[in-house]
Amino acid sequence: MKVVLQDLVKRFANSDRAAVNKINLVIEEGELAVLLGPSGCGKTTTLRMIAGLEQPDSGRITIAERDITDLAPKDRRVAMVFQNFSMYPTMNVYDNIAFPLHAVKMKRGEIDRTVREVAALVNIDHLLGRSVRQVSGGEAQRVALARAMVRRPEVFLMDEPLSNLDAKLRVQLRTEIKRLHQDTGTTFIFVTHDQEEAMTLGDKIIVMNNGDIQQVGSPHEVFFAPKNAFVANFVGTPSMNMLPGAVSGDNGGGYRLQLPGFELSLPARFHDGLARMAGKGVIWGIRPEAIRLVAEAGENTVSGEVELVEALGSRDLIFVRAAEQLFGVIVDAQESVAVGAPCHLHFAGGQMHLFDAESERSLLNDCG
Amino acid sequence: MMRVPTSERVLAYVILIVMAILVIAPVLAGSITAFKPQIIWVSSPPTWIFEPTLENFEFVFFTRKGWVYLRNSLIISVGSVAIALLLGVPAAYAFARFRFRSSKALMQWLISLRMIPPIVVGLPFYAMFLYLERGLGIGLRDTFPGLIITYQTFLLPLVIWMMRGYFAELPAAMEESAMVEGYTRLGALWRVVLPVVWPGIVATAILNFIFAWNEFFLALILAGNRTSTLPMTAGTYIVRTRVEWGNLFAVNLIIMVPVILLTIALRRQLVKGLTFGILE
Amino acid sequence: MSKSYRSDNSNRSFSTRLYQLTQRQRHWFFIAPALIILLLVVIYPIIFSTGVSLFRVTFASQSRPFVGLQNFERMLGNDDFIQSALNTLYYVVFSVSGSFLLGFAVALLIRRVTAGKELLRLILIIPITMAPIVVGLMWNWMLDPLFGLVNWFLGLLGIPGQTMLAQASTARLTVVLVDIWQWYPLVFLIIEAGMATLPRAPFESARLEGVSSWMIFRRLTLPMLRPVILVALLLRTVDAFRTFDIVRVMTDGGPHLTTETLSLYLYRTAFTFSKLSRAAAGSILMLLFIGLISALMFRYLYRDVEVG
Repeated sequence: MKVVLQDLVKRFANSDRAAVNKINLVIEEGELAVLLGPSGCGKTTTLRMIAGLEQPDSGRITIAERDITDLAPKDRRVAMVFQNFSMYPTMNVYDNIAFPLHAVKMKRGEIDRTVREVAALVNIDHLLGRSVRQVSGGEAQRVALARAMVRRPEVFLMDEPLSNLDAKLRVQLRTEIKRLHQDTGTTFIFVTHDQEEAMTLGDKIIVMNNGDIQQVGSPHEVFFAPKNAFVANFVGTPSMNMLPGAVSGDNGGGYRLQLPGFELSLPARFHDGLARMAGKGVIWGIRPEAIRLVAEAGENTVSGEVELVEALGSRDLIFVRAAEQLFGVIVDAQESVAVGAPCHLHFAGGQMHLFDAESERSLLNDCG
Repeated sequence: MMRVPTSERVLAYVILIVMAILVIAPVLAGSITAFKPQIIWVSSPPTWIFEPTLENFEFVFFTRKGWVYLRNSLIISVGSVAIALLLGVPAAYAFARFRFRSSKALMQWLISLRMIPPIVVGLPFYAMFLYLERGLGIGLRDTFPGLIITYQTFLLPLVIWMMRGYFAELPAAMEESAMVEGYTRLGALWRVVLPVVWPGIVATAILNFIFAWNEFFLALILAGNRTSTLPMTAGTYIVRTRVEWGNLFAVNLIIMVPVILLTIALRRQLVKGLTFGILE
Repeated sequence: MSKSYRSDNSNRSFSTRLYQLTQRQRHWFFIAPALIILLLVVIYPIIFSTGVSLFRVTFASQSRPFVGLQNFERMLGNDDFIQSALNTLYYVVFSVSGSFLLGFAVALLIRRVTAGKELLRLILIIPITMAPIVVGLMWNWMLDPLFGLVNWFLGLLGIPGQTMLAQASTARLTVVLVDIWQWYPLVFLIIEAGMATLPRAPFESARLEGVSSWMIFRRLTLPMLRPVILVALLLRTVDAFRTFDIVRVMTDGGPHLTTETLSLYLYRTAFTFSKLSRAAAGSILMLLFIGLISALMFRYLYRDVEVG
C-alpha cells in the first residue's frame, strides 16, 4: 500500500535537536524503500513512527489513504522485524509464528494451516517444534520474518534486521528478503546504515542525515547523481574523493577549477550551475572508480606516487599522494602498481561532481 | 584462570575454614539447644551428648502460641511483598522503558530512601496511627494493613530497583514486536514480557520476603498483641530473672531455617538485591 | 518552526489530542501508584515528624503548644543524646571498617579456592541471612558468663571467665564485633561480585609484563574496584548508623549508656519517656546527619559510576 509521510516531526525530551525534522515522503504501493543514513540520522525513528511505536509531535502518516497517525500499533496493519530481537524466548518456533494470529482470534485449524504455509515460505518448516536455544541466529531472524508475514500486513517495516548476523548469512538473507518482496508484492520499508545493503535491496533509497531527508532516488541516482555533498560522501565505498576549490572563468567562456596544488578545466555540463557561483567556494568530488591511471601527464591529470595498496579481490584500492593530497583510486588487480611507483591520475570530466561549498548542494543535480 | 601457588591456596583454605567455623559453630551450637531437654539448657560445661527432644518446639508452638506469631509473620511478610510487587513492578517497567524528563531524578530519589533510618519513619507512623485512631476512628495500629503499609517504606524502593534491572536486560523490541503484531502494551506485557521476567520477579519476591520476615524495629513500634511477629516474640523468652534458652533457640530456628533455605535458592541473585541495584 | 506545527495541532479532534497526551504521559500510569504510596509512607511521615518537632506533643496531654526550635536545642544540649550520637559514630567507624576489611579479605581469599567453593561461600554468608535480633540473642547465649561457649572455650585455654557485656570497658567493642560478624558477608558479596565484572585483559597484560602481585592489587584491582568499594562502604555506613536490633537485645544500651545508639535513645525518648516531640526533633537531626554523610559519599560515587 502507498505510504505517505507528511510534515513529520519528532523531538525527544532529552535533546534540543529534532530527531526527525518535518519530513515529507511518498512510498508507492509495492515498493521496496530503504531508509539509509548514519546512526542518529532519524531513520529508525521514522520507521518507529510508521509502526506507531513513537508518537510524532506533528505531521500525518497515511497508509493507502487511511490516516493512521493516532492509531495504536496493533491497528495499523503493519508488521515489523527488529534488529536485536527475533524470537519470543518462552515459545517455540510454531507458537512464535502463531502468536500474531491469536491476537485476531483465528480458528485453530486455520492458524495451523497459515503457520505451516508461511514457515515453508521462509524455509523453516522443519524447525517448527524447536525452541529458541535450538535455532541459529539466522533461523531466528527467519522466524521473525515469518511472524511478520503471517498476518498479511499492508506494509513490512524492517529495522536493520540483518545487522546482527555474520557477513555470509547477511548476504543470503538479503537475497531472500528481496525475493519475498517480489513474491508478496507488498510495500517494504527497510532501515539500514549499510549503504551496500541499501543499494542491493532498494527500489528507492531515502538518504537521511540529522533528521532531514537528503535525497530520494533509485540506487543509481543516489550513487551517480548525488544531490549534495553528504549523499556523495556517504554512498559508495570506498568513499568519494573530495577537495575544496575555487572556480574562475577562462577566456573561451569555459571554467577552470583551482584545487589545492593543481587545476582542472570543467566540462560544459557544469556551465549552467557555475553561472551563479562566481567568486564562491565549491567542493569538487570524484569517485575512486572514476579515476584512471594514465601513462603520461596531460590535461586534467595530476602526478604523484603510490603510497598504499589494499587488495579488494579482483580489484585493488590504491592510495596515491599527488599535489599533497591523498587520492583513493580503484584499479584492476592485473594492472595494479607497486607502492612507491610514480603515476599520473586522470580525472574524467564526465564523472566529476561539484557542490556549493556553503549549501553543499550539487551544482548539477540540485538546481531546482 | 589465574594460577595460584599451592602454598597460597593452602593458606586461603586454612583461613576460610577457620572463618567458616567461627560462623557456623555458634549457629549450630545454639541451634542444638533447641533440641535439649530443659534441665541441660544451661549446663556448664555444655552437654553435647543428649537425647534430642521436640518438647521446646511443642511448648513454643502451642503453649506460647508460636503458631499465631508464625501466622502473623507470614501474613505480614507475604502481604507486604505482594503489595510491593503489585505497585513496584509496573513502576520498574516504566523506569526501564520510557524516556521521560524526571526518570533519572526519581530513580536517585528512590536510592536515597535506602538511607533513611527506620526510626525516622517509625516514630511519626506511631503518632499518625494514634491520631487517626483518636480523630477519625480508623484503627491501623496493631493491624495487618497498618504494618503492610508501613513495610512499603523499605520494600517498595527495593522492588523497583531490582525489577528495573531485570526489565532493562530485555530488549524493548520484545514487547514492541508483540504490539505491532496485534496486542496492546498491557497485552504484550502479560503474554510476552512477564513469562520471561518471571524468575526475576521470584528472586525479588524472595529477597523482599527475607527483609520483611527479619524486620524487628517497625514491628516493635507498630505491632501489638494481635499482630506480633516471630522476631518480636523471640525477645519475650528473656525473662528478667532467667532466659528460657531452649525455647528461645526453638523460636530462632523457626525464624532462621526458612530464610537460609531461601538464601540457598537465591544465592546468585543475592547481591543485586543487597546492593539495591546501585551496582549494575 | 515550532509555531507552524503547533498551529496544525489545533485543528485536530479532542480525542486525537487526548490520545497523544496519554501516549506522552503514559509512564505516569505505571509509576503513579508506587509514587503515591511512597509519598504517603516516607515523605509525609517525615513532614509530619518535622511538624511534631516544632510543638510540644506528648501522648498524655491534649494541648500542643508551639515551641519552635526548642526541641532541637534541648536535644543538642542533652548529654545522653550527644553520648548516643558519639556511640553511633563509634559503631559506624569500627563496624564499617571491621566488616569491610574482613569482607574484603574473604573475597580475595575465596578466589584462590577451588574445591568446596560453593559450600564455603554458602556457610560464610549465613550471618547476613539471619535476623539481627536472632544474632543478638544467639551471641547473648554464647557470651553468657556462666555457661556461654566463649567463656567455656577461654577456660579451656586457661583464661578466666569474662563478663564482656556487663563491663563498660568491653561491652561496646563486643557489640561491634557481633555486628561485624553479622555484616561482613555484605562486603564480601559486593566485592566478590565487583571483582567478577573486572575485565581480564589488563590483569593478564600486567602479569605478562612481570608486575608483582602487590603492585597489580594496588594499581589495578583497587582503582578498578573503587566504585564497588564505595557502594559497600555506603551501604555499611547507613546500616551501622541505624543500629538498633542487636544492641536492643544484647545490652539495651547499657551499662551506663556506653552502648546506647541514636535509634535506641530516640526510641526510648519517645516510647519510654513519652517525649514524642523531642524524639522527633532528634530523628530529624539524625536524618540530616546521615543525609549529609551519604550525600558526600554519593557525590564521590557519582564521579565514576553511572547510577540508574
